[in-house]
Amino acid sequence: MARMKFLCDADRCIECNACVTACKNEHEVPWGINRRRVVTINDGLPGERSVSMACMHCTDAPCAAVCPVNCFYTTDDAVVLHNKDTCIGCGYCFFACPFGAPQYPQVGNFGTRGKMDKCTYCSGGPEADMSQAEYVKYGANRLAEGKLPICAEMCSTKALLAGDGDIIAEIYRERVVTRGYGSGAWGWRTAYGDTVTV
Amino acid sequence: MLVKRRTRDAAQTGRLAELAAGLAAKPIDRRSFLRSSGLAVGGLAAAGALGPGMTRRAEAGPTDHGQPIEIRQNICTHCSVGCTVKAEVQNGVWVGQEPAWASPINRGTHCAKGAAVRELVHGDRRLKYPMKKQGGEWGRISWDQAIDEIGERMLAIRDRSGADSVYLLGSAKFSNEGAYLFRKFAAFWGTNNVDHQARICHSTTVAGVANTWGYGAQTNSYNDIRNAKTVIFMGSNAAEAHPVSLQHILEGKELQRANVIVIDPRFTRTAAHATEYVRMRPGTDIAIIWGIMWHIFENGWEDRDFIASRVYGMDQIREAVKAYTPEVVEDISGIPGDTLRRVAELFATQRPSTFIWCMGGTQHTVGTANVRTYCDLLLATGNVGFPGTGANIFRGHCNVQGATDFGLDVGNLPCYYGLGEGAWKHWARVWDVPYDYFVSRFDAVPAKAGRDARTPEQNMGVPGITSTRWFDATTMDADEVDQRDNIKAMIVFGHGGNTVPRMIDAQKGMDALDLLVVADPHPTTFTALHSRTDNTYLLPICTQFEVSGSRTASNRSVQWGEKIVEPIFESDNDFAVIHRLADRLGFAGQMFKNYEMVQGKFGSEPTPESILREINRGGWSTGYTGQSPERLKAHMANQQHFDLVTLRAGPDAPEEVRGDYYGLPWPCWGTAAFRHPGTHILYNPNIPVKDGGGAFRPRFGLERDGETLLAEGSWPVGSEIEDGYPEFTYALLQELGWDGDLSAEELAVILRIGGENPGGVSWSTDLSGGIQRVAIEHGCVPFGNGKARAVAWNLPDPIPVHREPIYSPRPDLVASWPALDDARFQRMPNIGRTIQQTAVDQGLAGQFPIILTSGRLVEYEGGGEETRSNPWLAELQQDMFVEINPGDAADRGIVDGGWCWVKGPEGGSRTRVKALVTERVGRGVAFMPFHFAGWFQGVDQRGNYPQGTDPIVLGESVNVVTSYGYDPVTGMHEGKVTLVQIEAA
Amino acid sequence: MLKTLISRLPMLVLLASLTTLAAPAAQAQVNPTASSVQEQELMRALQTGDFVAGRVSIPDERAGALIKPGNKGWAGIQGTTLRVISVAAVLVTLTILAAFYAYRGRIRIDSGFSGRVIERFDGIERFGHWLLACSFVVLALTGLNFVVGRWTLLPLVGEDTFGTLSAWFKLAHNFMAWPFMLGLVWVFVTWVGRNLPSKVDVNWLKVAGGLFTRGLHPPAGKFNAGQKLLFWMVILGGVGLSYTGVFMLFPWLAGSPAEWQTYQVIHALFAAFMSVVIFGHIYIGSLGMQGAFSAMGSGKVDLNWAKEHHSLWVEEEVGHGKGAAGKPGAAATPAE
Repeated sequence: MARMKFLCDADRCIECNACVTACKNEHEVPWGINRRRVVTINDGLPGERSVSMACMHCTDAPCAAVCPVNCFYTTDDAVVLHNKDTCIGCGYCFFACPFGAPQYPQVGNFGTRGKMDKCTYCSGGPEADMSQAEYVKYGANRLAEGKLPICAEMCSTKALLAGDGDIIAEIYRERVVTRGYGSGAWGWRTAYGDTVTV
Repeated sequence: MLVKRRTRDAAQTGRLAELAAGLAAKPIDRRSFLRSSGLAVGGLAAAGALGPGMTRRAEAGPTDHGQPIEIRQNICTHCSVGCTVKAEVQNGVWVGQEPAWASPINRGTHCAKGAAVRELVHGDRRLKYPMKKQGGEWGRISWDQAIDEIGERMLAIRDRSGADSVYLLGSAKFSNEGAYLFRKFAAFWGTNNVDHQARICHSTTVAGVANTWGYGAQTNSYNDIRNAKTVIFMGSNAAEAHPVSLQHILEGKELQRANVIVIDPRFTRTAAHATEYVRMRPGTDIAIIWGIMWHIFENGWEDRDFIASRVYGMDQIREAVKAYTPEVVEDISGIPGDTLRRVAELFATQRPSTFIWCMGGTQHTVGTANVRTYCDLLLATGNVGFPGTGANIFRGHCNVQGATDFGLDVGNLPCYYGLGEGAWKHWARVWDVPYDYFVSRFDAVPAKAGRDARTPEQNMGVPGITSTRWFDATTMDADEVDQRDNIKAMIVFGHGGNTVPRMIDAQKGMDALDLLVVADPHPTTFTALHSRTDNTYLLPICTQFEVSGSRTASNRSVQWGEKIVEPIFESDNDFAVIHRLADRLGFAGQMFKNYEMVQGKFGSEPTPESILREINRGGWSTGYTGQSPERLKAHMANQQHFDLVTLRAGPDAPEEVRGDYYGLPWPCWGTAAFRHPGTHILYNPNIPVKDGGGAFRPRFGLERDGETLLAEGSWPVGSEIEDGYPEFTYALLQELGWDGDLSAEELAVILRIGGENPGGVSWSTDLSGGIQRVAIEHGCVPFGNGKARAVAWNLPDPIPVHREPIYSPRPDLVASWPALDDARFQRMPNIGRTIQQTAVDQGLAGQFPIILTSGRLVEYEGGGEETRSNPWLAELQQDMFVEINPGDAADRGIVDGGWCWVKGPEGGSRTRVKALVTERVGRGVAFMPFHFAGWFQGVDQRGNYPQGTDPIVLGESVNVVTSYGYDPVTGMHEGKVTLVQIEAA
Repeated sequence: MLKTLISRLPMLVLLASLTTLAAPAAQAQVNPTASSVQEQELMRALQTGDFVAGRVSIPDERAGALIKPGNKGWAGIQGTTLRVISVAAVLVTLTILAAFYAYRGRIRIDSGFSGRVIERFDGIERFGHWLLACSFVVLALTGLNFVVGRWTLLPLVGEDTFGTLSAWFKLAHNFMAWPFMLGLVWVFVTWVGRNLPSKVDVNWLKVAGGLFTRGLHPPAGKFNAGQKLLFWMVILGGVGLSYTGVFMLFPWLAGSPAEWQTYQVIHALFAAFMSVVIFGHIYIGSLGMQGAFSAMGSGKVDLNWAKEHHSLWVEEEVGHGKGAAGKPGAAATPAE
C-alpha cells in the first residue's frame, strides 16, 4: 500500500510558485486561500533556500487529534483528508498544524472563518470520487484518476516530489549522492517522525 | 493505479441516527438545511461572496468525467522557453490543464505563469468589446465602427503628415504569422516605423551577436545546457525570468557537477543555486569581461587552435584588454582580481562552458558592446559551436525570437534581409507585388535642419524610429525628427506603455497624439497613463490560446499552437483585425492575395497555415523554409520521440519526424520536402550540415586589412570544400561545377529571378531552394564558412570600451570612461554624453546616491497588465516594491513593508512604493520590478481604465524614475542603471 | 513580554543560522550551493517555541512560518491531556457528589417548614443569577461537546447530524459568551458587597458549614462562607473564561499563535474548574438541600430555612422591619 508523502528538494526549488498557481488552477481555489505556498529561508543570503509547503499529510496528524468534530480521516494511501460537512471552522487545526496548512475562507473571528480548506493531495473528499459535489467542496480528485498531485507534476525544476514515501525518498537520496549536497527533506522529521538519510 | 480508499466509512451513520431521523433526515439534512436558512456554518460567512460551506466560486469547469474530453496543445504565452500547454476542453470550455509530459522542453512542468494560463480565457478582466474614448468617457462601439473610424483617421494623418507619422508598434506576443503579417502591413502602409518588444529586451543582443558570427539568436538551447561543465549567468535571473530552463540547468549542474557562476548586482534566486556568486556594480560588464580575459590571456588559457581557425581580430582584443588590469577592473566594478581569476580559470579550463545573459547585459547604453564582449569571451575560450557551449541568450517573451525574425524591427524586412533594394525586391517577389508599389507607398522626406531630402525609394532604406523614442518623436520639434513630420498616431498591438524609461515624457507623448489605438486582450498602460479625452480606441484581441499559429522559442525551435477555445467575448484574432484594417485602408486585396481566406468570427480572415507557407517561400536567409505547417504539427503530435538532451528524434520515431530536431530550430534549410532536420546548435562543424552542422557566417566581406575572413582549417564534417568559403551563389555553383545538380525547375526559378545577372542569385534569394539544396548535398553551409569577428569595425567602439552609465555613481570615472559622443541615429538625436556631463557638473551622484536597477518577478511578465489581471498570479505579488539594503534602509528610517518614495534624477520624477528590506541588494543599490503600472507618482489611476478591465493589482512603474540613455546601434534604452534617492513616505 | 519574545523568535532562528554561514566578505568566495542552510541543523538549533520561518510574498505574515514543531506540543495537550483532565474533573466531581448524597442524603430543614416566607433575592438579583446560570449551562454543554462530542454524541447521531449540531453548538458558544459576561458583571455588582469576608466566616468554615453534621447550623449572613467562596470562584473562573474566551473569538487579538494556544489551554482548564464548582453549586441549590431552590425560584425562602442557614441575615432583615410575610401555618410549598 502506498504511503503518500511530499518532499521538497530545496536545492532545486527556485520559488517559481508554479505549485501555488497550478493548485489554484486545478481546484479553482479562491483568492485568500493558499493550499500551498513557498517560503524562502535566509532570503538574500548565500544560504538562501526556498521550500514549497502544504499539508504534509502527517503520520498521527495533529489536526485530527485536536479536531472537536473528528472531521479528519486518513485514506488507505495515508492522505489526511477532512469532511467539510462536519467541519465547524473552529480553527483548532490551524493551531495544531506544524506547517500552516489549514486555510479559512474568512480571516478572522467570531466564528466567521468558514469551513477549513487545505491541500487534499489532489484526492478530493468523502463525496463520490470525481463527482461534481466533491469538486465544489474539495477540488479535483486526481488520485482517483490515477494521477499525482498537480503541484508536484508541474514543478518547474522537479523540486517538489509527490508519491509513495519510499520511492520519493529514494529519488531524493540518489540526487544527493549524485550531486554531493542536499539541505534535507524539509519537514519530514516533524511530519513523519523520520527523515531521509543519505 | 491509485484509488482512494477510506478507512473510516463506518462512522458515517450513527447508532441513533434512525432515532434522530427528525434531525438528520432529508428535509433538514445538514446541507440543505444550512442552504435554505441562508446560513453558513460559521454564521456570518453568508455575508461574504462564498456560498455556504464552499471555498470556491462556480467557474468554468470542473471536468465532467461523464463527457468526452478533447486534448488541445498550445504553447505558453509568457516567456521564451516554449513550454507546451496541454488543455482539456469540454463543450468548447477549457476545463483543465494537464502536464504536457511529452514536451522535451518542459516535460510537463510550468512556472507560476504557465500553471495559471487557463485563467486567461476565464478573462474576468479582459477587454470585452471595442471601445472608444469620447469626451473623456469610455464607451462601447462595434467592430465596424471602430475599424471605420480608425481607418479614416489614419488616412487623414497620412494625407496631412505622411505614412511615417503613423507608428506601428507590434508585439512579441504575436504568433510568427501575426508578426509577419504586421510587418507586411507596415510595408504596404509605407513605413519602417514598426517595432516590437525586442527593441527593449534583446535588440542589442541581436545586433552584437549577428555582428560577431552571423545570426542574432541563442546558439544552443536550454536543453543543451545539460552538457555544460561551467555556466556563467551575467545579468540573467533565469530562475525568475525563465524558471523552466532551470530544470535543465540544475539537473545539468547536478549530473555534471558543473560550476554555476552568477555575476549580478543582485543576489537573485538564480544566484542562490550558484556555486559562485559575484556581486558587481551595475553597468560595468565590459570592464569585468575584459578583466576575466586579462587573466585568460595572462595565463595562456585561451583556445589557440579555435582562435586561429575560426576567429578574426582576437589579437586586437588581446592588446586591448591589457589595459584592464585587476586593479583597474576592481576600481570600476568592485570585483577583486582573485575572484575574476577564479572565474576565468573555471570558464576557460573546465569546458564546455556556456555564457548566459539577459537584460542585465543588454539594457544599457553600451548594450551592443556588452554583448560583443560576451561573445569575445566565448570565442577566446573556444566555447561556441559545440554541445554544452555557446551564447545562451534567454529571450523574454513567448515569441520575441519569432517576431524579431519576422522583422518587427525598424531596420529589417522579415528574416533579416535588411531594408536594401535587394531585400525589398526579394519580398516583393515573394508577395507577388511590384516593387514600385512599395515605392509609391513611402513618404518623400524634405530637407530639414541641414539634412538632405530623401526620395520615397531612399526613405524605404532608412531605419525607422525605435520604440524607445516614439514619444520624443511626438513632442520634439519636427525639424529634429528625421522624417516628413512628427509621429501623430500610435497603433499599438500587444505592447505595454510602461516598458521604457522616462514615462513622464511618454505621458506627454500620449497626450500629444492625434490617434491612439490599443489592440490587446487587456487595456495596457497606453490606456490609462494619459489624460486624453478623444480619438482613443481599444480593440479586444484574443490571446494566442484562442487562435492557431506557430511561435519560435528562444532556442529557435518553432512550435505550432492549436486554438484551444474560440476568442472569448467580442475579442478577435490578430489576423482578422489586421485584415479588416488593411481592407479599410485599401490594400487588403494585394496584401492577402496569397492566403487561403476563411470565414472567421466576424468576417473573412487568412489561415495561419497559408501565411506560414508564404513565410516558407521567402525565409531563405534564416532557414525558415523547411518548417511547413505539416511538419510543425507532426512535431507537436510526436513530442515524446525527441531526446531530452540532443532534441533529436531517434530512429524509432515515426517517419514524419525521424531524425528531426524538435521544432526544426532555424536554420532549417531548403524546402520542407528536402527534410533538413533543423539546427540545434549553431555553427557546429562536428556534424554534417545536413544533420544540423554549420560554421560561422562570413557576412562582412572576405578579407579585412589583408587578413582573411574565411575559416582556416575548419569545415563541417563531410564538406567537399575543406577550407573556408564565401556564401553560395549561382555563380559559385557554376565555378564549382555543381550547377548541374540543380533541377530544371530550380534553374528556371534562378534564371527568372536573376534576369540579366543570374550569377548574383544567392542561397538567400533563390526562391526554389536549389542553391541551398545543392550546397548542403555537397556538405557545405549555404551562407559560407567564415570566421567570427572579435572586432566589429562597422560599429561604434569596434573593440568595446568600458563607458560609465549616463547617470554614473562614479563621477570621478566619467572623465576616463565617458559615454559616446552625442550623435543622431534612427531618425533621432541622442544627447547621452551631454546629459552625462551635466549630471557630473550638477553633482547628481551626491543627491541621488543609490543605483537603481530593475528586473522581473516570476509571477508577472512584461508591462504586466495581463498577469496582474490574473487572480491566481496577482495574489502572490500585491504591491509594487523597492528592494533596499538593510544598511541603506536603516540610514533612512525605512522599515520592511513600509511605504517610501523613490526619486529619480530627471524632472522631479518619483514613485511611491513599499520597501522590501533585504540583503539581496548590496549597499548603495536598489532594485525594482518593472511589471507594475496604474499608479503614477503617487496617484492611483484605476479610474482611467474602462470599468471592469482594470488589472487587479496596480502599482508604480519603475520606468517613471529610470532615465535617459540609448545604445547607439539599436536605440536600446538604459533600463538597468540610474541614480535615485529613497525616502520614507 | 511573552508577546515580544515570541514575535522575536523567527528572527532568532534567522540569526542562529546566519552565524553558521561564511560571512559574505568582499574577498571571500561566495558559494551559495555549499553554504546552503540545512534543515537538520536548523531544527536542532530550535529552542522550545521556536520555529523555522522565512519570507513569503503573500501579505500574510503567518504564512512565513514554515515548520512549527511546537504546534504538535499544543496538539498533544489539547488533543489528549486537556480532554483527560476535563473528563476526569467532571467524573470525579459527580462521583464525590454522589458519595456525599449517599452519606448525608438531602439536608432537610431541621425545624420543618414554618409556612412563613421571607424574601431572599429580589428580581434584579435573580435576573443576574439566571442570566449567568443559563448562559453558563449552554456554554458548558456546548463546550463539553468540543471536548468529548466526537466520542459520545457522534457515534450516537452520525456524522451529518453531529456536524449540524456542532455547528449550532459552536454558534451558541460564541454568542452565549456575551450574556455570560454580562451576567458576570451583573452578579458581581449586585453581590460583591455581601461577599466580603468576615469573622463569622472563620467559624463557619471551621465546622464546614455543618454540612457533615446533622443539626449543626453555624451562624451566617446573607451569604455564608461557602457561598462567598463560590462567588469568588465564579467571578475568578468567569473572568478567566471571559478573558481567554475573547481571544478564542478574536484570534488575532492574541498576538502570536503560541499565545493563542496558551489562552486556549487556560480556557479549557478554567472551563473544567468552573464545571466542577457549578456542579457542586447546582447540587446544593437543588437536590442537596431542602428549601434552597426557592431562593432563586420565587426569590422567597421559608423563614425556618433562613434561620437555620443564614441566621444573622434573618436577624438583620427582621431588625430592619422586613419581617417574614405570609400567614403562619400556611403550607408554603418550597419550590423544587
